[in-house]
Amino acid sequence: MRAIWFVSQVVLFGVIAANMVSVPDYFQYYVAGLSVMTLYSTAIFIGFDIYEEAEHGVFEYLLSLPVSRRDLVIGRSIGGGLRAFIYVGPLVAISLIVIGAINPLNFAVALFALFLFSFGISGMSIAIAVLIKSSDRFDIFMGVLDAFIVRLSTSMYPLAVIQGTNPIYGWAANFNPLTFAADLFRWGTGIEKIIYIQNPLLSLIGIVAFFGLFTLLGITIYERMIEGGGWR
Amino acid sequence: MVEHDFRNFFRYKWWLVGLISMNLADLFVSALVYNTILKLSVRSEIGSYFNFFAPGLAVTGLFASAFMIGREVNMERRREVHHYMLSLPMARWELAIGRVLSGGLRGMMYMSPLLLTCFIFVGFPTVWQLLLILAVLFLLAVGISGLSISIAASTSSLEKFITARGAVYYVLFFCSTVFYPIQVIQSAGPALATLAEINPLSGASDMIRSILLPQFFKNFSYLSILYIAAFSAIFTSTATFAYMKLIERA
Repeated sequence: MRAIWFVSQVVLFGVIAANMVSVPDYFQYYVAGLSVMTLYSTAIFIGFDIYEEAEHGVFEYLLSLPVSRRDLVIGRSIGGGLRAFIYVGPLVAISLIVIGAINPLNFAVALFALFLFSFGISGMSIAIAVLIKSSDRFDIFMGVLDAFIVRLSTSMYPLAVIQGTNPIYGWAANFNPLTFAADLFRWGTGIEKIIYIQNPLLSLIGIVAFFGLFTLLGITIYERMIEGGGWR
Repeated sequence: MVEHDFRNFFRYKWWLVGLISMNLADLFVSALVYNTILKLSVRSEIGSYFNFFAPGLAVTGLFASAFMIGREVNMERRREVHHYMLSLPMARWELAIGRVLSGGLRGMMYMSPLLLTCFIFVGFPTVWQLLLILAVLFLLAVGISGLSISIAASTSSLEKFITARGAVYYVLFFCSTVFYPIQVIQSAGPALATLAEINPLSGASDMIRSILLPQFFKNFSYLSILYIAAFSAIFTSTATFAYMKLIERA
């Protein structure tokens, strides 16, 4: 399903919108951003699994396993992130071929950052799912969050343009993990015309901080909320 | 039937709040940002991207909410609620038409605040123009509702329905003038432009633009309304037939 969505966004929106905007090589810029957006929306899905497991009694089974709850949530975050990565991997590979990525070394660093980004998003999704406790409300909340986190990031347009449109939007985009991931991914492709960041280290630090924060939050919230059947 | 479907619709009120937030984020963030990076040639054709996109947003909202009826029909199919539906004192074709119409009416209701937002920022039409806009959008909403029910009746699981919905959404929207003007689509490929021209979503968006922004959209062809009417007639009949078959088969 996501593959159909991805391809139609590339071959329809990407191609046509590139004829509408004045950003140089916008098609390549958009396809790179789309890969990160797809990774983000796939990593979110781990939250829905939490509800399904609670509904079908799998949660009790997981709690009975000989691992600490901390290990359990770290495992869930890594599993969710890795699953999203494997799922989006072929799409990312296609997008790299389409846009003509050229720098393997940079790309290895960017790939590592995307791994951390994906784990961080899974951790965030788990933390929110455990806090909200209703799959409907979670669906709505993630939809609203998605609307703002994607649009207020550099996944679709460069940061300078967002800042020029509205300084508040620019400020929000500046601290958005999707911005860090999209910028690093573009830097990783090595295509000069779509690289807008001066210092990739800052984006990398941003992603590591995001990963650390949400993994920690996920562990803390998960540990507190599941006691006494709190997941029900 | 309409009352039943409206009650169901309001059970999703928080979902609708979420949907409206997403639509408004599209308008007040994405459209504003795209407005600053428009090519000069495109700007001279459409003016502001914000104004251009606002009518498209109303059509986007209409599509999302009118399509929700299919999700319910699909769920009813899986949970076998149609036994109750069949016990209602009405003919099957009335039941089917009622579902299609209520899907369309729900779409209109959800779309109203988005259309009002469009009027506030782009400009208000005259009473007759407003009636024309509402009539055409209702035709479109009924067609979308019919399309959604047709898909729901022919898909056995929610996952398949959602997959089909995603495919329909992306093809219909990205190959229409909801997000970009027809001149831009023509420069990407003449085949895409032909598809966009007969697309009912393009017709509805461009009709609102031709009324609210006549200085930029004076070449609107009223043939597009005919396409919308044809779309609506085809999918209302298909949905009626598919829905009747669905409840008879069960």
